Amino acid sequence: MIQTTFNSFLVALLIIPAVLLLCRRSRGTRALPPLLLLLALLAGTVVAGFSFWRGDRLALDLSWATPFPFALTVDRLSAFFLLLICAVGVPVTLFSTSYVERHYSGPKADWMWALLPLFLLSMALVVTASTAFAFLFGWELMTLFSAGLIVIDGASERRRHNIFIYLVMMHAGAAAVIASFLLFVPHANSLDFISMRAAVASMPMGLRTAIFLLSFVGFGTKAGIVPFHLWLPKAHPIAPSPVSALMSAVMLKTAIYGFVRFTFDFLGGGPTWWGYVVLLAGAVTGLLGILYALTEHDLKRLLAYSSVENIGIIYLGLGAALVFMANNAPVWATVALVAALLHALNHSLFKSLLFLGAGAIADATHTLDIELLGGLLRRMRVTGTVFLIGCCSIIGLPLFNGFVGEWMLFRSFIEGAELPGISSAIILPLMAGVLALIGGIAAACFAKLYGVAFLGRARSIEAEHATEVTTSMQAAMALLAAACVAIGIVPGVVLNPLMVLARELMHSPALPEATLPISHALPLIAACVGVVIIAVAGIRRIKRVTPTWACGLPALDSRMQYSSAAFSKPLRKVFSKVYEADRTVEVAYAQEPYFPKSIVYRSVRTTSFEKSLYRPAVDAIVGMASRLRRLQTGNMQVYLLYIFLALITLLVFMRFA
Amino acid sequence: MNLAIDVIQALMLIAIAPLVRGVIARIKARIQNRRGASVLRPYADLLKLFRKQDLVPDTASGLFRLAPVILFAVTATAAVFVPVLHASALFGVGGDFILLVYLLAFGRFFLMLGAMDGGSSFGGMGASREALVSALAEAPLLLALTSVAILTHTISLSGIVLATVQQYPLHLSAVYVFALGAMVLVAIAETGRIPVDNPATHLELTMLHEAMVLEYSGPSLALIEWASAVKLTLILALLVGVFAPWGMATGASIVGLVLASGAFALKFAVSAIAIAVIESSIAKLRMYLVPDFLGMASALAILAVAFTALMR
Repeated sequence: MIQTTFNSFLVALLIIPAVLLLCRRSRGTRALPPLLLLLALLAGTVVAGFSFWRGDRLALDLSWATPFPFALTVDRLSAFFLLLICAVGVPVTLFSTSYVERHYSGPKADWMWALLPLFLLSMALVVTASTAFAFLFGWELMTLFSAGLIVIDGASERRRHNIFIYLVMMHAGAAAVIASFLLFVPHANSLDFISMRAAVASMPMGLRTAIFLLSFVGFGTKAGIVPFHLWLPKAHPIAPSPVSALMSAVMLKTAIYGFVRFTFDFLGGGPTWWGYVVLLAGAVTGLLGILYALTEHDLKRLLAYSSVENIGIIYLGLGAALVFMANNAPVWATVALVAALLHALNHSLFKSLLFLGAGAIADATHTLDIELLGGLLRRMRVTGTVFLIGCCSIIGLPLFNGFVGEWMLFRSFIEGAELPGISSAIILPLMAGVLALIGGIAAACFAKLYGVAFLGRARSIEAEHATEVTTSMQAAMALLAAACVAIGIVPGVVLNPLMVLARELMHSPALPEATLPISHALPLIAACVGVVIIAVAGIRRIKRVTPTWACGLPALDSRMQYSSAAFSKPLRKVFSKVYEADRTVEVAYAQEPYFPKSIVYRSVRTTSFEKSLYRPAVDAIVGMASRLRRLQTGNMQVYLLYIFLALITLLVFMRFA
Repeated sequence: MNLAIDVIQALMLIAIAPLVRGVIARIKARIQNRRGASVLRPYADLLKLFRKQDLVPDTASGLFRLAPVILFAVTATAAVFVPVLHASALFGVGGDFILLVYLLAFGRFFLMLGAMDGGSSFGGMGASREALVSALAEAPLLLALTSVAILTHTISLSGIVLATVQQYPLHLSAVYVFALGAMVLVAIAETGRIPVDNPATHLELTMLHEAMVLEYSGPSLALIEWASAVKLTLILALLVGVFAPWGMATGASIVGLVLASGAFALKFAVSAIAIAVIESSIAKLRMYLVPDFLGMASALAILAVAFTALMR
C-alpha cells in the first residue's frame, strides 16, 4: 500500500509537465497541474511520515530500464529528508498557486508549473537513491532544474552572471562528489549503497580520509559552507520567491543528507580531526554567515546569508557528532546528530516561511529593499504575524522550533567536557560560546529586519499602500508558522523518531536520557508564560493614541527613523575586520572647505573571499585557458596534424602497454 | 511542601524586585551625601503608572502594547527557574541555564521590537545599542555558566546550586574565580547598570534601556520597569545561588527556611551595597568601549571553561 503510494507519488511528479501540456489549451483545466502537484506532495508527506515514524523500508528498482543500476530505497534517513522535502513542498505549492497567477502569465506560468514538480522530483531522487548513478542523476537534475526556474524571472546580463556562478560552483562541487563515489570502486563490487557500505571495512585509512575530504568539499559546496558559500547570496535572491524558499529551505538539506550518508552511514565516522574540520567549518560558516546577513538591506539576500549561518549551525552538530564517535561516546554522538538533523528540519520550516514572507512583501510592495518598507504589520496583519513567528524561530527563542535544535546542540557541547582527550574537552564546550555568539548576532539581525520592515512608519509610498496578500498565500505561511510553534512547544513528536534514526546510524544501544527533560519542560514553560500573559492582560490599560514626541519639532517623518544601516552600525564597527568595505566619499564644495554642494558616498563590500581566493583562482584558470588557446589556430592542416600525432601516440602506447 | 516553597520563592522574587531597586537607589543616595527617597518608592512609582493612561504612538501597531506583556511574562517565567530559599526551583530540574538565558533573550527581543515600533529615532537608537550589548553578552554568560555546569556535572540550576551547597565552603577552584568575574561583568551589562548603561540618565547620547522605553507610558511602562527590576533581581539571585549558596535550606523545615530568608536578605544587601559603591565610584563607559568590557568578560569565561579541562 505504502509502496504503491510512493510509486504513484514519483509518477505523479513526473507526468505533471505532460498534463500541463494537455491542459494548457482549455481554461477549465488550468488548475489541474497545481492540484495534482499538491496531492502528490501530500501523498509523499504521508509515505515519508509513515516510513520515518515506523521505519518501513520502501524500494524501487528500475535497473531494467536504465543503462546503469538505478534503484531507490527509503530507509529512515531517506524518509526523514523526503518528509522534509514534501512537507515544505506542500505550503510552497499552495503559495505558488496564487503567486504564479499574480506574477506570471502564458509560457512563464507554464514553465513554472512544469519545472517545479521536476525540481521536487529531482530532490526526492537524491534523498532516496540507493545507487551512485541514481544519486548523481538526481544531483545533476536538481542543479539544472533550479537554474531553469531562476531563468523564468528573466535573463539580464547580471542575472546570467549570477546563474553562471551558480552553475560553475555546483559543477565543481558535483565533480568532488563524483570523485568521492569513484574512490569506492577499487573496493566495492558495484556502486550500490549496500556494497559501498560493506567495502569500507577493507579500505585503508588514507582512502577513507580522501573520501571524507572530497565529500566534505563536494557536499559543502552545495550546502554553502564558507568559503564555498559564494553562490548562495547570488542565486537565491534572484529566483522567484517560492523557488528561493525551496532552494534555501530544502535543496541545501540534500547536501546535508549526502554528507550524513557518506560520513556517518558509509564511513561510520573517523578520527577526531575529521570532527574538528567539520566543527571549524561550522563555526566559521555560522559566524561569517550571520555577520554578512547583518549588513544586508535586501530581504532575500539577508535570508540567503542567514541560510549560510544555519548551515554552519548544522555542521557544528555534525562535527560534534564526529568528535563523540571518534571518542567512543555513541550516546552523545546521537544527541549531536539529532541536534543537527532537527535543526535541518527546523531551518526548512522557518526559512521557507521567511522566504514566502519575502514573496508576500514583494507582492504587496514591489520591493525587497527593507529601507523602503516599514509599518507593514499594521497593513498586513497575517503576513506580519507569521513573519514574526519565523523571526522568533530562526533566532532560537524558546517555545519556537529553532530553540529545540540549538538546545540539544548546547547540551552535547557541554557534555564534550567529559571526553578523555583534553583538546576535545576544551574545544567542544567553547563551541557553546560560538553558538551563543551566533545566536546573539542573529537576534540583532532579525530585530533589525523585523523592526525596519514591519514596524514604525512606512518608508515609501509603496509600503504605505501595501495590502494583505491572497488567502492561499496567507494559508501557506500560516501552515509553516503553526509547524514552527508546534515543534517548539511539543518537540517530542519529531525528537523521538529522530533519536531512533540517529541510534540506528550510530549503532548506539542506549537512549540519551539527559536530553529528555527538555520535552517535558517546554510545554510547562509555555503554560507558565500563557498564564502570566492572561493575568497581565487583565490589567486595566486605557489606550490613548497620540503622535510620537518629536522633541518639540512639528512632526516626525519616516526619514527620522533609525534605518537598517544605522541599526547594524555598532555591530559592524565591532566586527569591522570582517567587512573591509571600500568606501569613497566625494564632496563637491561651493567654496573649499566649506559649504558642500553635494556629497556622494559609496560603500561597496566585496568579501575578502572574492578578493583573495576566487579572483586569483579565476584569473589562473582563465590565464591557463588563454595559453591553451594557442593550440586552436583554426588552420585545417594543424588539426590534421593533431589527429595524426594522437593516432601515433595511441599506437605507441598500445604497443608498449 | 517543596512545591509550595518553589511557588513562594518565585512569587517572592517577583514581588521584592522593586524593593531591590529602591534599596540600591537609597544606598547610592547615601554615598552621594543625599538623603534619598524611601526604599518603597519604586512600588509607589509602579502604582502611579498603573493608574495612568497608556499613550500609544499613532504609527504603532498592536505589537507596541503586546511587547511589554510578553517581556513581563517571560521574565516572570525565568524567575521560576532560579533557586532562592532552597536548592530547588519549580522548573529547576527540567529548567536549565540555557533555557533561562534564552528566555531573557526572548523578552529583550520583544522589547527591542516594541522600541522600534514607536517610529522615532530614539527607539531605534536604543534597540540598536541593546542589540550590540546583548549580542556580545550572551556568549560569556553561557560560557561562564557552562564552566560551572561542567564542574558540577549537571546543567539544571537546582543541580548546580545543590552541588555547590554540599561542597566544603572554602573549596575554591580557579574556575569559580574566572566564572564569577565573567558573570559579574555580564550581569552589569545585562541589567543596564554603570559602567555599561546608566539607569538614572535621560540623555539620548548615553542611554540604552531608557532610549528603548522612551515612547512607553502608563501601565505598559510599569510592566517594563517591573520586568527589568525582576531581571536585575533574578540575575543577582543567580549570582548568589551559583557562587555563594551557603545558608540555603536543603530540607523543608520552617527553621531552615527562616534562616535561608535571613541569609538571602543579607547576601542581597551586600550585593546592593556593592552595586551602589561601583555605580557611585566609576563613570559610564563610552559606547564603543562596551565591546572591550564584554570582551574581557568573554576572555574570563573562556579561561573558566579551559580550566575545567586543565584542572581535572
